[in-house]
Amino acid sequence: MPLLLLPAALLVCVMMMAPMVLLFRYSLNLYSPTQLMVEALSPANYLNAVRDPYYRDVLGTTLWVALLCTLLALAAGFPAGYALARMRGRWKAWLTLLTIFPLMVGNVVRAAGWMTLLGNTGMLNAALRGLGLVGEPVQIMYTTGAVVIGIVTVVLPYMILTLASVIESIPRSVEEAAANMGARPFTVFRRVVFPLSLPGVVAGSALVFILCMNAYATPVLLGGSQFKMMAPAVYDQFVRTTNWPFGAALAFILLFVTLGLTMAGSALLQRRYRG
Amino acid sequence: MSTNIGRRTLLGAAPLAAAALAASARPARAGGQVVVGTWGGDYAELLTRNVEKPLLAPQGIEVLQDIGSQDARKAKLIAERNGRRSSMDVVHLSDTDMYQMAQLGVFDDVPADIVTNAKNIIPALHRAYSIPHIFSGQVILYNPDKIKTPPKGFADLWDPKWKGRVGIPDLNYPAVTFGTAIMAGGSMGNWEPAKKALLDLKKNKPVVYPSHEAMAQALKAEEVWIAPMWLARTYMWRKAGLKIAHIVPEEGAIPVIFEAAVTKHAQNKANGWAYLNAMLDAGAQAGFADRMGYVPTVTNARLPDDLAAQIGFTPAQQAKFNVPNYEYQAKNLPAILDFWNREFKA
Repeated sequence: MPLLLLPAALLVCVMMMAPMVLLFRYSLNLYSPTQLMVEALSPANYLNAVRDPYYRDVLGTTLWVALLCTLLALAAGFPAGYALARMRGRWKAWLTLLTIFPLMVGNVVRAAGWMTLLGNTGMLNAALRGLGLVGEPVQIMYTTGAVVIGIVTVVLPYMILTLASVIESIPRSVEEAAANMGARPFTVFRRVVFPLSLPGVVAGSALVFILCMNAYATPVLLGGSQFKMMAPAVYDQFVRTTNWPFGAALAFILLFVTLGLTMAGSALLQRRYRG
Repeated sequence: MSTNIGRRTLLGAAPLAAAALAASARPARAGGQVVVGTWGGDYAELLTRNVEKPLLAPQGIEVLQDIGSQDARKAKLIAERNGRRSSMDVVHLSDTDMYQMAQLGVFDDVPADIVTNAKNIIPALHRAYSIPHIFSGQVILYNPDKIKTPPKGFADLWDPKWKGRVGIPDLNYPAVTFGTAIMAGGSMGNWEPAKKALLDLKKNKPVVYPSHEAMAQALKAEEVWIAPMWLARTYMWRKAGLKIAHIVPEEGAIPVIFEAAVTKHAQNKANGWAYLNAMLDAGAQAGFADRMGYVPTVTNARLPDDLAAQIGFTPAQQAKFNVPNYEYQAKNLPAILDFWNREFKA
């Protein structure tokens, strides 16, 4: 049987790994404005990216935006995931479908929706002005707040669905037993539900954190030109300056940082609640 | 079923085989396919309507449009440059990108004896490696309701009266930088003076828009009143109902040209040249003017006077065009983008 799996496994490995290997090789090349890419085996692109305060700032912004969005998605997604998991009958199917619904349209379309809501002449500002709460429009578009709102709404369905699938597997009787023994609802959540749903929290947070770290369309469209995260910076290098070696180095730095933090975060969470 | 091939069969088939061999050895023949890497939307539709159906279909040439972004086409050209087959026969790019790709040696020079319409190209737009298809230039657009005295040039963007009302298109950073450089005493071959001037412009709180669509929205909402922009875009936005007028900057406009070339390893090279020739047809070029606001690149194309007045440039304005110095631009664009991102937009 393992032998029969080998061709498909090899094919998947090659298809997933070959572009990465090629990109890593590019990251060791050098850039020339006329020849674009000069063959080399140099760590210069990595060193330049790490030494450059501009890219350190971009990475820093990416990290804190991704962490904030992950925490907000977890905070907003847990109650929704719990409700979905404990729901029965027709409503559950409908609400699951509604949760999946935003995933059926692309991030760009959703960002465009936010643009019409958050713009200076958007619905939110129109409502604020209509209610007499503000005289001049409030600048929401092209701010960090707009990016955070946009990214959280993009990743929320992933968090909800991941949590719901894990919470579903926790028997309701466990919660009832804790309540019977005098635990208050918050204690039941803190001592029973949350620790038991930890695999979902870890998986959901890791998935969402990775998506946030790699967000492209939302920061570009809602953050505007002045707001920089790593994925748009990588795009700039590949597309606007055609500097593939430096773009590849930035992409790998993003990959390593995301991977490292995801693994560290997961290990920390599991140790904290299992220990 | 017998598989024996008799002497008579062989003799009978020989002339057919010879004809087939002769046909396959012919370097250029009518008919067949041509793969064209191009933009989608209006541009692709207008190519079909004005170039492909009326001019190439009668020659039996079937066109396969490979629609995608300019960046995707550049990536394909770079990735395929050492290969023996190109996935595209004809490639459409803007002038700056076309120059950059031509330096990699991925295009064949345009043969004047085959692309016969090339003789009508406006001389200033002539290149060895490509043909110019349509062009426009960078102008200053403004809201005439808010700005009663029309601006004169780039310097008006620095006028403190328009603080917070200046829009800058992020995608046009090269043209904005060079336009600024010229205003500040530089040239298309010296962008250094733009650095200080652009940092000074920040005092006027310009809003940098990530896309042209975002800028159109801001103009419509009258959030910004003045901005540098391509005349073709300005024309289209005006047609769409935006209250905007424009002036050609007194320092001279920077033209943008959209070009086409045939790849060195094209599989249908003869049809590629036929495609380029058709793109230069005077009637076909005029078809792009009204819908997209771009000016023909051939001297024998005629536009209605009112349309020409809206999208064209007078001979005096054309004489003042600041034509990009492509070699200088290619070498300096990474540094310009670096400055743009780190210092101007920061």
